[in-house]
Amino acid sequence: MTLPELGSSFPERTFGPLGRVDIVRYAGASGDFNPIHIDAPYARATGAPDVFAMGMLPAGYLAHAASDWLGGPGGFRRFKVRFAARVWPGDLLACTGLVTKVGGGHISVAVTAFRRGEGPEDLSLPDQEIALTGEIEAELGSSVGEGGNGA
Amino acid sequence: MAEASIVFKLPVERAKIREFALAVGEDNPIYFDAEAARMAGYSDIVAPPTFSVTQMWHLSREEREERLGANLDYARVLHAEQEFQYKRLPVAGETLDATMRISRDVTKQGRRGGELRFVTYESRFDDAAGEEVLRALYTLVQTSKDPGE
Repeated sequence: MTLPELGSSFPERTFGPLGRVDIVRYAGASGDFNPIHIDAPYARATGAPDVFAMGMLPAGYLAHAASDWLGGPGGFRRFKVRFAARVWPGDLLACTGLVTKVGGGHISVAVTAFRRGEGPEDLSLPDQEIALTGEIEAELGSSVGEGGNGA
Repeated sequence: MAEASIVFKLPVERAKIREFALAVGEDNPIYFDAEAARMAGYSDIVAPPTFSVTQMWHLSREEREERLGANLDYARVLHAEQEFQYKRLPVAGETLDATMRISRDVTKQGRRGGELRFVTYESRFDDAAGEEVLRALYTLVQTSKDPGE
């Protein structure tokens, strides 16, 4: 792959629309069975208008987008996200990445995931808002980390 | 009496990698096809970057709370931040030795009044040789009982 330049952006990557089944699938995969994400009557009893995705689901999509941008996940050294807004059934998740540092075989990327959609009726959400922000630091060149052969 | 840390195992199973990769919409063959993974330099199919969240299958919230004793009120708790620090990604067939502890517990004044308590659960995952593979830092925020809004 060609070396990304400082200040350049990766092509936006969009996932979704998020289905309720996608949330249930992630619950089973991750082991996160908090009912607020999968049981709408329970979610409503807590004051939420509907179920919403566990934060690690959009974070997983963001890691997916970033590993495609960087030619695989093997160079990842650090991935950090902050959760800013809930992601609702029906939302699209648009992942963007901006190169903030590059050199010495390392790259830093500021990543942002936007939720796009109407959201639950009673919330009057904007059509687009930031759902997650974060950073990825990776080694360039060797797509597989040292000792990547594992066991 | 709270314990300083919890030690548990995180198996990195082939079928679990596939299930998890599909759940985050992955189509990269390194997660599904051992031959493709070998071509990319891994010894077998590799676990996606956020795979270690499957630790929830092996250490429940209830057990974690009881043993580490953070005394959080989960009606007021949100997932604030998540961080992973990697030496490498795990591959299928490994069983990682996990150690979880509370690495940060601070209370700050919230912008809208009231206190916010941040608690970070840090899990370190080591391989069979005792080498660190990755760390996962799971940060929860507990909002004030009286949000003052």
